[in-house]
Amino acid sequence: MNEEIIITVNNLKTYFYTNQRCNKAVDGVSFKLKRGKTLCMVGESGCGKSVTATSIMRLLPTLARIEEGEIIYHSEEGDIRIDQLAKNGKKMRSLRGSEIAMIFQDPMTALNPVYTVGFQIIESLRYHTKMTKRARRKKAIELLRGMGIPLPEQRVDEFLHQYSGGMRQRAMIAMGMSCNPKVLIADEPTTALDVTIQAQIFDLMNQLKETYKTAIMMITHDMGVVAELADDVVVMYMGNIVESGTVEEVFKTPAHPYTKALLKSIPVLGCGKNQELEPIRGNTPDPYNRPEGCQFNPRCDYCDEKCFEMPNDFKVTGTHHAKCWHYRKVLENE
Amino acid sequence: MLEYITRRTLVLIPMLLIITFLIYAGLELTPGDAVSFMVSPDVLANISPERLEALRESLGLNDPFVIRYFKWLGGVLRGDFGYSLTSGVPISKIVIDRLPATIELSVAALLISTVLGSILGTLSALKKGSMLDHMLTVAGMIGVSIPQFFFGLVAILIFALKLGWLPSGGRMMPGYDSFLDRLPHLVLPAFVLGLTMTAGVMRYARASMLDALNKEFIKTARSKGIPEWRVNFIHGFRVALTPVIVLVGFRLPMLIGGSVIIEQIFQWPGIGKEFVAAVRGQNLPLVMMIALFFVLAVLIASFLVDFFTALLDPRVKLD
Repeated sequence: MNEEIIITVNNLKTYFYTNQRCNKAVDGVSFKLKRGKTLCMVGESGCGKSVTATSIMRLLPTLARIEEGEIIYHSEEGDIRIDQLAKNGKKMRSLRGSEIAMIFQDPMTALNPVYTVGFQIIESLRYHTKMTKRARRKKAIELLRGMGIPLPEQRVDEFLHQYSGGMRQRAMIAMGMSCNPKVLIADEPTTALDVTIQAQIFDLMNQLKETYKTAIMMITHDMGVVAELADDVVVMYMGNIVESGTVEEVFKTPAHPYTKALLKSIPVLGCGKNQELEPIRGNTPDPYNRPEGCQFNPRCDYCDEKCFEMPNDFKVTGTHHAKCWHYRKVLENE
Repeated sequence: MLEYITRRTLVLIPMLLIITFLIYAGLELTPGDAVSFMVSPDVLANISPERLEALRESLGLNDPFVIRYFKWLGGVLRGDFGYSLTSGVPISKIVIDRLPATIELSVAALLISTVLGSILGTLSALKKGSMLDHMLTVAGMIGVSIPQFFFGLVAILIFALKLGWLPSGGRMMPGYDSFLDRLPHLVLPAFVLGLTMTAGVMRYARASMLDALNKEFIKTARSKGIPEWRVNFIHGFRVALTPVIVLVGFRLPMLIGGSVIIEQIFQWPGIGKEFVAAVRGQNLPLVMMIALFFVLAVLIASFLVDFFTALLDPRVKLD
């Protein structure tokens, strides 16, 4: 097995069962997460990014089920099939927080309002380390200091509502990083924050990546974030990965019409008010009434009869893949 | 804290004035007066109107209503609560005699309903959709809809009359007045009062717990890899508890009011039973005193609720 890879996801299918209907939220997703690298997962709301992340953490709601595929965690003691572990079993719990940690979107709701921030950081240390009570508290203060929170000795005993927005997210990251996890999954960690704080948070995450060789899986729909942080990019649409590759490959030579359209629809700073944006036409299809074949075909400029069959994963380069029959045309901008 | 208590107490004064005045006015509108209750009908038929009038005069019933209200208020402010019009006993003595019984019953019922209600509600939420949850839901519905007096009578019929396990009423037997001797008397009324309330607390605790368990921070707690019991109780239950405390707190005065019916059925010598007798006998000073007592209970309960909410939720401050 490749030394570099920490998590392999193979043909993952996570379905939601509501009102006797089945929503194939994640429908055959495969990717690899590398040690010390940042993988950004982009795509519009509801495309299955968060479900993929929560599948890896096994934190899916009761209505959801992993139907097929495998999630393999390459730990130092050998490979662990995460998808086969009991959901809240001992083994899974020992991975959560200590090996794989997660940061959530809105720290205001994702942290418990009735306990001190320190208590919540110490909680993970309590179950994953053999530290004494005093050492745990010291570590929590250190973590807060490391995240640039002023007066950590005092702040550790404060509650969430006494923190500012940026501090809350930093406290959340401190919590996630408390046991030096090998993998950090961040589900839109900066969506609720303003831009200056965003930059600080990203600096922090980059530091962590370099210091501890933590693999970061970042979910976002902000292309600016991707450009800044990512080593690799995965583009999702309707529960599928439509394109994947290094950040240069995907941004400079998009091979899937969806990626291309997505990049075109972003306003560019400095182009003035009159720049023409090209929104992707049409709407995301109803997940219960999906188009046949390529999921993007009703909105795609390149669509022809071939597209009513599901395209294969075409290899553009060694690292760059696209799920489109016409990827050559897209690449050549025809 | 001290400032908060002072302010709350100051707000209390106008509130008490308005409420007592309204009650006084309400009672004024009811037909008859204390005299018509004190004097038996056959005496009433033969008594001369002058003597009746003299009796009214001596009891101060002929003054205009506003004057009487202020006379009463003046007495209360001096610590003189007056005498019962029907028995002549000082009202303060009646209250002191009766209050312990009511408090005993209320506290017992409150404990039963809070403990049982929170436990069953939490269980119901944790096992949502299970057989147990459905059974508790049905039981809760029955508990909420069944009238207290009916439940009380059925309980007396079964446990006191048919099975003979418990006494059907009263608070103690003459000569046996230790707490253990009194306990069998307390069981039936406390459970009838407590169980009818349990249903409400249970449904509320279930909803509150489900709400807490659906919060994002539960997912975060789970993502830390801590055991499930810790996720459910340390994170979920703790947050679900605050609204339940509020509900229970506001039940406290309702309980004293609610015990009017239960005290009547079980011949429990408490304030509630006295209240019914006083209203029937147009015993104005006593009715006023007990009403005052109920109002105080409401205000104290709302203070307690604030206090406990502030204690449980760090975001709430008492000021």
